[in-house]
Amino acid sequence: MIGTKKKPIQEVLEALEGYQKVGIVGCDGCGKTCATGGSEQVEEMAKMLKERGKRVVFDLAPNTTCNLNNIRSFFTGLEGAIKKSEALLVLGCGGAVQVVRQLTEEYGYTIPVKSGLDTVGHMDTIIPGEFLLEQCRECGQCVLNSTGGICPVTKCAKSLLNGPCGGSQDGKCEVDSNRNCAWILIYERMKAIGEVGKLNDYLGPKDHSKAARPRTLYVKTGEVL
Amino acid sequence: MKLSDRFRKGEFVITSEVAPMKGCVRNGAIPGFLEEARKVAPQVHAVNVTDNQSALMRLGSLAASVYLQRDGIEAIYQITCRDRNRIALQSDLLSACSLGIENVLCLTGDHIKLGDHQQAKTVFDIDSVQLLAIANGLNKGHDMVGNRLSAPTDLCLGAVANPNFEPLDLQLIKMEKKAKAGAEFFQTQAVYDPKIFESFVKKARDFGVPLQYGIVIIKSPEMAKYVNDHVSGIKVPDSLIKEIDSVPTQERKEKAIEITVRLIKEIGPMVQGVHFMPVGWSDVIPEIISRINV
Repeated sequence: MIGTKKKPIQEVLEALEGYQKVGIVGCDGCGKTCATGGSEQVEEMAKMLKERGKRVVFDLAPNTTCNLNNIRSFFTGLEGAIKKSEALLVLGCGGAVQVVRQLTEEYGYTIPVKSGLDTVGHMDTIIPGEFLLEQCRECGQCVLNSTGGICPVTKCAKSLLNGPCGGSQDGKCEVDSNRNCAWILIYERMKAIGEVGKLNDYLGPKDHSKAARPRTLYVKTGEVL
Repeated sequence: MKLSDRFRKGEFVITSEVAPMKGCVRNGAIPGFLEEARKVAPQVHAVNVTDNQSALMRLGSLAASVYLQRDGIEAIYQITCRDRNRIALQSDLLSACSLGIENVLCLTGDHIKLGDHQQAKTVFDIDSVQLLAIANGLNKGHDMVGNRLSAPTDLCLGAVANPNFEPLDLQLIKMEKKAKAGAEFFQTQAVYDPKIFESFVKKARDFGVPLQYGIVIIKSPEMAKYVNDHVSGIKVPDSLIKEIDSVPTQERKEKAIEITVRLIKEIGPMVQGVHFMPVGWSDVIPEIISRINV
């Protein structure tokens, strides 16, 4: 899932300055989970914009706004409303904003598509409605088989591959005393599953070319270029 | 002279540490780090030069190390993985060797969040074990992707270990990897409990790499508490805080010397050297060394 947080309202208003008629597109997928772009937040945003004198042409939250096919069918019949809008405000991840922008281009509309959220990473739900955690950095070279299913690239603040730094205190990370040292978690997990001996293996430097952005995934061949 | 040569000869290797300042060396002024190094130089074998320690932006450790070398003081150039990718790190190691550096200490580096440029991008392209392996490759005449160097580096590679780390076995796993990657000596994080050090040494000596006991000079109760609260990986016991607090300010240097000498007398026989981190009190180091009779 893609984590998002709300932009400060002032920033949203600045982005919409000069655009009176606004269409709001949320996301009832990840945006709903993060309580930033679901139907409920779309309604709140519509209310807030109206209070500040904007005219909200439509406000909707497709199921997964990052999926072009999905919103293409969702938007069918809405062409008129989009056409009436001077700008669209997307309450979704950075991907959703760009997919909506692409759709408006397909429709031949050159209206600006603005973002109401900041995207903060690939997140996993740990406690629904409360607590999400970044556990994967999409490095393109997964090491989880060597680290007990706990990612040091993401969960160690220094992305260390060969063991902990010397900074851990009372089992916590030197960067955040509320967070467990990822390498201690890995060590305990590897002990529990009987693989602790594997931690003696040297892991070489990562091939960062596998994470060189932007990456393209060719679904039919499985190639990532 | 390389520290590895001294260890090989069976010398008890003594080193101290200086930190470059935030600013340049200009107009012939003698920089503070050089003054500090001069205070200890006659009694120590080499002086570490920290690399933007605690992620505070300072004069570079390579430039400061070269200043020491030119002054006739053997430098241990500290290099961390925090701010440079693999190209920059290898290039800096070639530069270090070209500028006459013989000893390098390879570290991970404190996180940017502990420093004064918290908005900076962290690099950590490679880790300290990989850095040692790469530096070892440069000594053998090739870069990390296998390209030959016109001349190999000739650097003695040092590493660090933290005996305070719990679980200790996890720290030892990494330490063994560093030894296998090419570490020729280890300097430890500051330890104030000889029992902790003893259980560490019992296992760490199996790696066959010389160890230097690391100690930060405890200057005052306030400083000790600061270290406990802000310096990760060190724990100053309450008993030592009380001890330094038991004397008036003007007697603190003498008390610091007494505490340090006592610890080295207890821990020294377990190791092949000692590494002082005087945190500005380099003037007490010669007296400590004279009292430990090495």
